[in-house]
This record gives sequence, structure tokens and C-alpha cells, in this order.
Amino acid sequence: MHRLLAHQLARVTSKSGDVNLAALLDMVSQAYAEADLDRRRTDHSALVMCQEMEQLNTELHKLAHHDTLTGLANRGLFREGMLRQLALARRDGTSLAVLCIDFDRFKNINDTLGHHAGDLLLKQAAERMRSSIRDSDTLARLGGDEFLLLQIAGSQPEAAAQLADQLIKRLAEPFDLDGEQSYIGGSIGIAVSQPDGSGADELLRNADLALYQAKEDGRGTFRFFSPGMDLKMRSRRIMDQDLRKALPAGEFELYYQPVVNLASNKISGFEALIRWNHPERGLIAPNTFIPLAEETGFIVPMGEWVVRQACAAAAKWPEDLHVAVNVSGAEFRNPGLVQVIVGALAASGLHPTRLEIEITESVLVQNKETTLATLHQLRALGVRIAMDDFGTGYSSLTYLQSFPFDKIKIDRSFVKDIMENAGSLNIVRAVVALANGMGMTATAEGVETTEQLDSITSEGCTEMQGFLFSQPLPVQDIERLFLSRSRKQAIAERSFVA
Amino acid sequence: MQIEELRWTPLTGWRTERGAGSGRADLVIYFGDRDALRCGARYAELRAAYPDAHLIGGSATATILGGELDRQNVVASAIRFAGTRVAVAQLDSVTKENSRACGEAIGRKLAAPDLAGVFVLGDGMGVDGSGLTAGLNHVLAGACLITGGMTSDPCDYTEALAGADAPPASGVVAAVGFYGPNIRLASGHACGWDAFGPRRRITRTSGNVLFEMDDKPALELYERYIGDEVGGGTGSGVVFPLLISPSDQPEHAVVRAILGMDKTSGAMTFAGDMPEGWMARLMRGNLDRLALGAADAARQICSSLPQNALGDRLALIVSCTGRYLLMGQRVVDEIAFARDELGPDVRCLGFYSYGEIAPADRASGAELHNQTMTIVALAEIEG
Repeated sequence: MHRLLAHQLARVTSKSGDVNLAALLDMVSQAYAEADLDRRRTDHSALVMCQEMEQLNTELHKLAHHDTLTGLANRGLFREGMLRQLALARRDGTSLAVLCIDFDRFKNINDTLGHHAGDLLLKQAAERMRSSIRDSDTLARLGGDEFLLLQIAGSQPEAAAQLADQLIKRLAEPFDLDGEQSYIGGSIGIAVSQPDGSGADELLRNADLALYQAKEDGRGTFRFFSPGMDLKMRSRRIMDQDLRKALPAGEFELYYQPVVNLASNKISGFEALIRWNHPERGLIAPNTFIPLAEETGFIVPMGEWVVRQACAAAAKWPEDLHVAVNVSGAEFRNPGLVQVIVGALAASGLHPTRLEIEITESVLVQNKETTLATLHQLRALGVRIAMDDFGTGYSSLTYLQSFPFDKIKIDRSFVKDIMENAGSLNIVRAVVALANGMGMTATAEGVETTEQLDSITSEGCTEMQGFLFSQPLPVQDIERLFLSRSRKQAIAERSFVA
Repeated sequence: MQIEELRWTPLTGWRTERGAGSGRADLVIYFGDRDALRCGARYAELRAAYPDAHLIGGSATATILGGELDRQNVVASAIRFAGTRVAVAQLDSVTKENSRACGEAIGRKLAAPDLAGVFVLGDGMGVDGSGLTAGLNHVLAGACLITGGMTSDPCDYTEALAGADAPPASGVVAAVGFYGPNIRLASGHACGWDAFGPRRRITRTSGNVLFEMDDKPALELYERYIGDEVGGGTGSGVVFPLLISPSDQPEHAVVRAILGMDKTSGAMTFAGDMPEGWMARLMRGNLDRLALGAADAARQICSSLPQNALGDRLALIVSCTGRYLLMGQRVVDEIAFARDELGPDVRCLGFYSYGEIAPADRASGAELHNQTMTIVALAEIEG
């Protein structure tokens, strides 16, 4: 105001220095009026700004504490409520239950119907669960298809078991996803707090372990946490750490089991099987560590090592011998699989027709389109493809129809019972007929006795492998026993030994 | 440096208001009413009066000569330099699309090792002032002071003219370069508007049309803040322009006046481009603070005008038409306040523009501003 008046004074001062006070007063009044108007505008804008900030604050609070898709609480809000309820439970000497909920086969919905359908299902499932709980319970979504439920109930663990059972039933009902009926299931892990005080983090971890057990026990069920689960999980964690060190430490080794052609009585090739020479625990069988490696994704680098080693070994063998390598679903999900195989063939100089890839039906079930595309790429290279463990899983003929496999391998469980169980014999007979009819080789696995050998031979099996001829052996033993002399002689000796 | 001042009105024709009317000048700068200039007669008369001078000028909403502000006239300052060389450049058929290339071309035409400053005039309706400025900066930034303005019209927003050594026309960019060691140039600019409310990101625009800020309709937000004062049309926009700046360079803020708003589509049209990703704040006007802003602009250059100048000193004033419209009768205050600071001896010539060109600060290149008063000081010292 001062600077303004100084300038305005110049406007109302005559050359002789007389000041027109009336004009100056007018100017001052006008300046005050302007200042008043400005103040009103400032007040108004401050008010609107405050309203806007309040609105933003509310939105931010909601965003920070809720899941945007389902409107349920998020992990943060759930944990806050849980801490409060735990304190109350401790004071009153009561218990509360934490339920860790995970959907079964939810990934299939996303993969086959798209993420929009997946989101729709999550919303419907959240609503179903919300309508099944009491107001005092808290349901939260952690992300994906993982949910947490805090149950405040007097009689634990009965109340939690009852609620879990009800939730599993509700989740098993069909979902209407834009006119498409879809089904999922639910697995639930439950941890109940102890009146003497379980910590929030411990409860959450225990419920998670129990969920893991529920999934392992076949899904669609619930399990309560027990201390044994903790031990099991710890040993898994240790094994996972050891597995990751094993590759650079050179602790893996490939064993090879001969595959014998029954018509020519000659070895036609070898199946490569991985073994782990653990520095403290000794030799570990693959069924102990392969499932964990598949789960953690470690199977991908491990599988690459296997195919490279197997190709390198086979390249030194006579040219009529092939090598078979097992490839898991996790490896097929890795887009670099074909490149890995091409690299291994190139590095070893092994002709592609001497490499056989064995897959199980489950690989096709998980991701049929991508797997088929990869199989066709491999086939185009000349690589042979075998269907492993046929008869144990889905045994769907459509899988056999979807790709022209070179070979069907009949699972050892049928061969084992072939002498005692007419059902097993009939299955072997049917599979062999199927293979022969479709122009595929039929290989019987797990042949341990001469009676079994006679039986599968008379049923028309083309090849066999099993302890009767040889157990899997290190590469140097294979080369010493079977490749350094006439293979016919070797076979005669082995048959005699058996 | 000697200055003769002339004024043309429909009633009196040309009159020399200061100086002898010697007919000797190196440069004549003129601004005037579009309809008075469009026929080319004013240019021809000035050319005849100053046959050896370069002539640069353009159309204006209103003109400034001395302390007087007027419409429907033409004002001119004929400058004779003691030791400074000047050169002009003009490009025709300039459009919004090729404005940047035009700026670069003008820059290349005027570039020389002893170039001290450029004063540029662009057709304020047909030329993109931001692009023009960016082009000039690209070639000349750091080498000299770049100032100027976008010519205007009688607020019918249809046609604005500019010209250098040619009758003023639309689609033209005209510029003059000042060369040599004796010329002293400085610029100041100020606004006087108050920014208020939170900073918001400009999220959807198309050229100079703004649709969304922070992913929300801009007009809706604008109306909420401005409340009952939003009457639609240009008037409200002039009172409440936007202060915009690159998100990481708030010091390079420029003011954008609203030319119009469409409530149906939610589009707000501004006098200058609205780059997406820039930050924006609402501003409000206060007549007293606008007038004091003019005084601030003058104060910034006072220290750069040498007291021992050889002959006359000139202040080229480019002030925004938006200020002219908002201040109404009190627009004379801003000229008076600026002159209070400059002192009675400094000659003043200027116009009300559709965009002012000047550096935002001493360290940066020129930028296009709206709603500011920009003053360029010219003086010569003894060589």
C-alpha cells in the first residue's frame, strides 16, 4: 500500500507542489476496495483449497488402507486391526483366528479368460466371503488371489474350522463371469492365537504355513497350523539355499539308464537322470529336490545344465545311440527353452535326432498352446519327443492326438503289477496297442524281473528300461560297461547277471 | 543516440512531437492501429520521411508514446545512432507450424560476432510465439539479448500485422539486430499477478487448448476456485490466468491468459502453448499490484541504463493486452508508474501485445510471456 500511495501521490501533485487531497482520498479508498476484493478472493480460494485437500486426504487414506479392486482392507489396515484385537484378546484371555485363503486354479481363469474375468471373479469371491463373515471379523486382500481373514470368536478352534468349511463350500460354487460359468476352489490355512500371547507376525506366518500344507494335501481343504509345519518349512528353506549353491559347486551329476530295444536286443540309448551329491547329506534322489526346484524356478538353470551335460556326453557315444532328457513344465514356461536346446546341440555337436525330450502330460495341461508351439519348434530341429509316465495322470487321448509323439513310456507302476494285477496288464496292453497303432514306440519303464520282461515283450513293447538290465549309472560306468565292448555281448552279460 | 518522436492520427496525419523532424535516422520503430497500418500508406509516409532508415513495426491494441497511451493512432520513434549498426530481417508466410523454423532462420540472418541484441515482432494471431522464441534461442541464446513481442489487433482476434522494411502484413515475423560495442541493452519484466492454490500437472492439452489438469477437467476445477466471478468469455480469463512452468524449472514460469472457454467440451483456450507435463497454478489479478508490477519491470532496468549515455535513452515497452483489458481506465497507471521509475528523461515507446518475449531471468534464454509488462532499455555510450 505504501509503494502504491507513493506513486499515486505523484499523480495528484501539481507542478507547484500542491496536493489534491480529495483525489488522493479517492485513490486510497479505491485501493482499500481493491484490497478487500482481493482478500475475499483469497478467502474463497483458501476455502476451496481446504475442501480439496480434505477430499484428497480422504481419498489417500482409502487408497492407503484398502484394496482398490474389491474395496476390502489391505495388509496394512488388516495388521492394524489385528494388533488391536490381539491386545484385547490378551487382556480378556481369549483367542482369535487368522485364516489365510488362497484360490485354487485361479491362474487358469486369468490365462484362459483374461485378466478382466479374473478381476470379476475376485470381486464376486470377495463379496461371497464378505457375506459369510460377521461384522466383527476383518477380511483383507493382500494381492492376487490371496486373502486374509481375522475371526473374533469365543470358541476356537471350532469356530474357525466351521467358517473355513463354509468359505470353501462357497468358493466351490460356480462363478458367472460375463455369462461364462467358471469354477475355482479355495485352500485355507488357519492359525489360532494363544491366550498367553502370539505375535501378529508369528500368527500370519503360521497361517501361511498351514495354507501351504492345505495346498500340498490336495487343495480345496483347510489345515490348522502345527509346529511340525514350521520344521518342514525350515528344512525346505535350507534345501533351497543348498540347491542354489550346488550348481556352481559342481554337486550335480548325471546318471544314465540304458534303454534296450527288445527286437534287436541292443541298447538304443540312455535316459539322463540327475543326482545331487550333497556335501553333508550324501547322494540325494531327484524326487526330494526336483519339486522344490520346480516351485522356486531353480529348475530352469538346472535343466539347462542337464541338457548341456547330456548332449556333451552323448556326442562321444556311437552315432546310433540317443540320449533322453526330462523337461518340466516350469522349463516349458521359460521362453528361452528352444534356445537352450539349440545352444546345447551346437556346443556339443550332437545331431538333433539323437536327442529325445521327455515330457509328462501335466506339462501340456498347464499351458497347452505354448507347449505345443515349443514342441513343434523342437520337432522342426529334428529332436525326438516322448510322452513320459503315460497312464498315471490324465491319460487323455486328446494330448496324444494334439502332437505326433515319437514314443510313449509306460509308467513303472503298471509294469510292477503286471504279473499280479489283470488291470495293469490290460492297461499295458491297451497303451502298447495305442502306441503301435499310432506309429509310436512303446517303452516299458521299471522292468525288474524276467517275468515282467517276458510279459511286456509278449504284449508287443518295443523297448524296456529298468533294474533288470541296469540301474542308472555314472557316465564313466556306462561307458566302461556298455560302450567299450560289443554291446550285444554286454547285453548278454547283463541278462545273465539278472 | 538521438530520438525523434512522431504520432499519426486520422485527424491530424503525422506530427513530430519531439525532435526536429530532420529526416535522418538509422532505425524507425513504429506501432499502430491495424486498420491505419493495413493500407500501407503509413509505412510509405514513414519511408518517405526517413529514406535511409530501416523501418520495423506492427499492429497493436493500443500504443504508448512518452506518457501517453492511445488507440486508433500510429506512433514512431526515429533513432539515429552514433556508432551502432542495425540490420533487419523479415520472413513472410509464417504459420504456427513453421514458427520455430522461422525463428531459427531469422536468428541465422541476424547472427554476427558483434550482435548485441535482437528485438523481434511476430504476427500475434498467425505465429506461434513459443516456437518463434525457441527457434531464436536455438541459434542465438547466450550470444545476445532476445526481446520483442507478438503484435495484436483491436481485440477482434482476427488479424495482426508486422513488417521490416516492408508494409506491415499478416503472417510476418520481423526483427532488428543491434551491433557493435557501444550499444547497451537490458530487459526487465514483471507481472503483478498473485499465484494461488496448489501446483497441478497439465495432463491433457492440444497446442494452446487445455483439457485436463491432474487428470481432471480443467474447467471444472477453474470454476470451483473462481466461484461466482466466472462469467464465461475472455473477461474472466484475463482476471484469472494460469502461471505455468516446466516441472523441474519453476523459475522459468510464464503466465498464460485465457482467450476463451467452452463449457460443453470443457476446453480452455490460452494465449500460448500449454505443454503437457508442465505445472500450473491459478492466478488472480489486482489492479494495484499490476500497476506496481510495471514499476518493478522498470526498476529492473534502471541500473542498466547508463547515466553517461550518449544522447537519448529509449525504453521499449511491450505490455500484455490482457492487462490493458483488465485495468481499464487505470491502465494509464502502469505507464505512469513505470515512468516514475525510469525518470522523465528516458524516451518511452511501446504497444499492447498478444505475448511478450524476454528472458525469464538473466541466465536463461528468451521466453514467451503473457500478462506481463516487458521493458527493453536501449542506450549508447561513447566508443
